[in-house]
Amino acid sequence: MTLLSTFESWSLVLGLALGTFLIRYSFIGLFADRDMPAWLDRALKLMVPAIFAAIVFSGVAIVNGTLGGEVAGLEHWPRYAAAVAAVLAAALTRGHMLVTLGVGMATLHGLPWLFR
Amino acid sequence: MACKNQDMFFRQALAAPAARAAFTSGVCDTLMVIPSYVPFGLVCGVACVNAGLTTGASLALPALVYGGSSQAVLLQFVQSNASLWIAVLSGCVINLRLAVYSAAMASKVRHLGKTQRMLVAAFMVDNTFAFIQAREQSHPHDKHLMAYYAGSSTVSWLSWVLFCSIGVFAGSIVPPSWQLDFAIPLSFIAVAAPSIRSLSMGAAALVGGMASVLLFALPLKLGLIAACLAGLSAGLLMQKWTARPT
Repeated sequence: MTLLSTFESWSLVLGLALGTFLIRYSFIGLFADRDMPAWLDRALKLMVPAIFAAIVFSGVAIVNGTLGGEVAGLEHWPRYAAAVAAVLAAALTRGHMLVTLGVGMATLHGLPWLFR
Repeated sequence: MACKNQDMFFRQALAAPAARAAFTSGVCDTLMVIPSYVPFGLVCGVACVNAGLTTGASLALPALVYGGSSQAVLLQFVQSNASLWIAVLSGCVINLRLAVYSAAMASKVRHLGKTQRMLVAAFMVDNTFAFIQAREQSHPHDKHLMAYYAGSSTVSWLSWVLFCSIGVFAGSIVPPSWQLDFAIPLSFIAVAAPSIRSLSMGAAALVGGMASVLLFALPLKLGLIAACLAGLSAGLLMQKWTARPT
């Protein structure tokens, strides 16, 4: 393990912080005072669900996604069962957060316990 | 970023009782998903130490960048002895999805001054954005949407910084068998599932979701961006197809 110098450490932190802020501010800065072109507005309505679904699908189907990760095979069936249960719970309760989280986590841990 | 002005922002945003109520519901809604931050926050804190950052910089990273996946990727690159520039650029690529949120937020911050707009931008992450989208659907034309966002952001930012800091000093203390990180996709199911209201949005979500799994091995986690574009194309095709006169 090589230790970084104070200068190196802070360049990393401030570099990523600045870059990330510019991305976050980008379209707010451009379009807060004027109307967005219609095509961009239309695209956004589709891109947001696509990103959210991507977070959901990869979060369910990829184990240890943040540390490299691998696609969850059949031995990880409780993850898929829990996701289906959570989708049903969310649809029935119009997205009640606590119910969806509760049903999902209970299925994830409860089903393998029932079938062990 | 820019946490010093936070206090002033909140004091202005919270002048009216109705605004305070919105702030409080932002706090409460967000508290429910905070447990899902724990495992990843700890991992990101530990990664700072392993990558050899100084303690001060390790604590500043979650506070100033405030984006877990980009922090993790930055540190991965540092650990594999990549040059600092490459590490920073890679971290930024991960955060490109925030530009989509930024575009979606632009019309919501029209009534705010420049400093407040910057604050709104600085505290925007997947979770707070998802919450404000859901809030807008359940409370249309709410004057205090930004007070709700402030409440959500306060809880979210403070807990993220807290869990990363615990990771820096104490390492991972939650047993992995709890699979707390599984609560992340679950929380997005709760927000996203009821918001899909048309065939084209459904097609965008389905294709975007599947693409993210098929493409997850792409370098730099570009799979997320690629999935977003794939979902967009599917949604546009579906719009064209359903709009065609029969």
